[in-house]
Amino acid sequence: MASITDCVVEGLKYPFNDIKKLLGCGVLFALISAISVFMSMKSFEIFRTTVHLVENSTQSLSQMPFSQLPTGDIYLVVALGIISFIISLFILGYQYDIVKFSIEKKAELPGFSDILGMFVKGIKYFLVVVAYNIIPSIVLICGVVLVGDSSALLIISMIAAVLFIIAYFLLVMALNNMVAHDSLKKAFDFNEIIANISNLGWGKYIGIIIFTIIVYMIIMVAVSFILSLITGVFIATISNQALAVSFFVAIIEGLFVDSYGAIFYNRVCGSIYMESIK
Amino acid sequence: MILDIYKDALEYSAKDWKTLVILGVICLFSFLLLPVFLLTGYNYRVINTAVHGVINGRDPMPGFDDIIRMFVDGVKVVIVQIAYMLVPFIVFIIFAVIAGQLSGIASSALMIIGCIITFALIVVACLMDQMGICHMAYNDGAFTKAFAISEIKEVIDEIGWFNCIATYLGLIIITIVIATVVTAIIYGIFTVFGISGAILGADPSGIFVLGVLINSLVTMFIVGPYLSIFNARSIGLLYTMQI
Repeated sequence: MASITDCVVEGLKYPFNDIKKLLGCGVLFALISAISVFMSMKSFEIFRTTVHLVENSTQSLSQMPFSQLPTGDIYLVVALGIISFIISLFILGYQYDIVKFSIEKKAELPGFSDILGMFVKGIKYFLVVVAYNIIPSIVLICGVVLVGDSSALLIISMIAAVLFIIAYFLLVMALNNMVAHDSLKKAFDFNEIIANISNLGWGKYIGIIIFTIIVYMIIMVAVSFILSLITGVFIATISNQALAVSFFVAIIEGLFVDSYGAIFYNRVCGSIYMESIK
Repeated sequence: MILDIYKDALEYSAKDWKTLVILGVICLFSFLLLPVFLLTGYNYRVINTAVHGVINGRDPMPGFDDIIRMFVDGVKVVIVQIAYMLVPFIVFIIFAVIAGQLSGIASSALMIIGCIITFALIVVACLMDQMGICHMAYNDGAFTKAFAISEIKEVIDEIGWFNCIATYLGLIIITIVIATVVTAIIYGIFTVFGISGAILGADPSGIFVLGVLINSLVTMFIVGPYLSIFNARSIGLLYTMQI
């Protein structure tokens, strides 16, 4: 039985097996980060115009007719949001493939030939993630809406946080189980999921996930620290070009870092499943 | 026994100056955050070689192959150290919170007791966490072994608490002495240069700047890596001193 370290080391090395496909996945991430930079810029503009409007008129924001707001920009932001959601479905589909390849112990990275299949898998992945987060979300929303009292709200949000964590740990194995059997039903087969986890041992299971997340966070924090350093230097030298520079840095980060992190993380998740069914 | 450890570790660390320079380069880039884990990972490798080796044997210096594994090992070491250091930290916080509720003499008395207890805990936690890392390395890097308190306590009991603490104190003293002596020698040389230059009519400030530069270079590329390998090797060898 391979140890935790072996799984994580294998996962870290895995994306280097095929740099081209890593970059292919990176293109998707780069698109999303570019869009999100653009979106945040636009939303800031909308916010600024709206504040300006409210200041100059006697009405409050809720009484204001929709046509007075910067409609064009709002539509643009909504459209961009939808586009980035669709791209993220493709990314989820790709992650599905990575977990699959990991379970099948293939050394190469999955390709991009089956675009439609990727999209369908992405929807499946997304549905499972949403389904597992429904219960804690409901608890949290009910808590916020029904209970106004501050101390009770604190307790309820803590309960919701614990539920989120439990749901997350189950979710990892559920996704693996779904991918391994290639059926959506298996994602909700709690007996099998819990049997798999107990087979591996709860301590080891939780430990490996937490360790993976720590490694992931360290890489992300370090790289974004370096990138923000570079951004700062560039902005200082090329003045008045802050937007272009942050755009550029966001693309770089999406292209190399986010894709690497996602592939690494899903690879390790897949190998957890391999360990659990031994 | 303790002197044997020091002798072996001092010789071992001086085996390969290339390794020292590579470690120095990593150390130079450690402001980028990721190389920090490479440094701890390399120390882990040294410990790993030591706990599986024999004292005064011909253990080779670990290489720099498989950087990713080194990084992951480094992350593990850092996690173990943080986890052990959390205990005294939490105890200190508890004391501080309770003392904050009290007033007057009771508060300061409690705070003094808290500080003493925290200090004792820090010493114990340092001991335990170094031994924990050795124990982890000995058991092929199994994470749970780093926190198997009873096993680690048995190991320390077999070595002897006095021996352990004496070795640690010795390590601290040797580290400080070497670092200070090297710095003192370099500054001494350059002070002589500067004074003789000044007597001959040259401006001594350039010579002093050069002295500071050379001192920091030597510390970073030679002395720092040497001492870190020395410490890791000594602790690893201490672990093998069980009866």
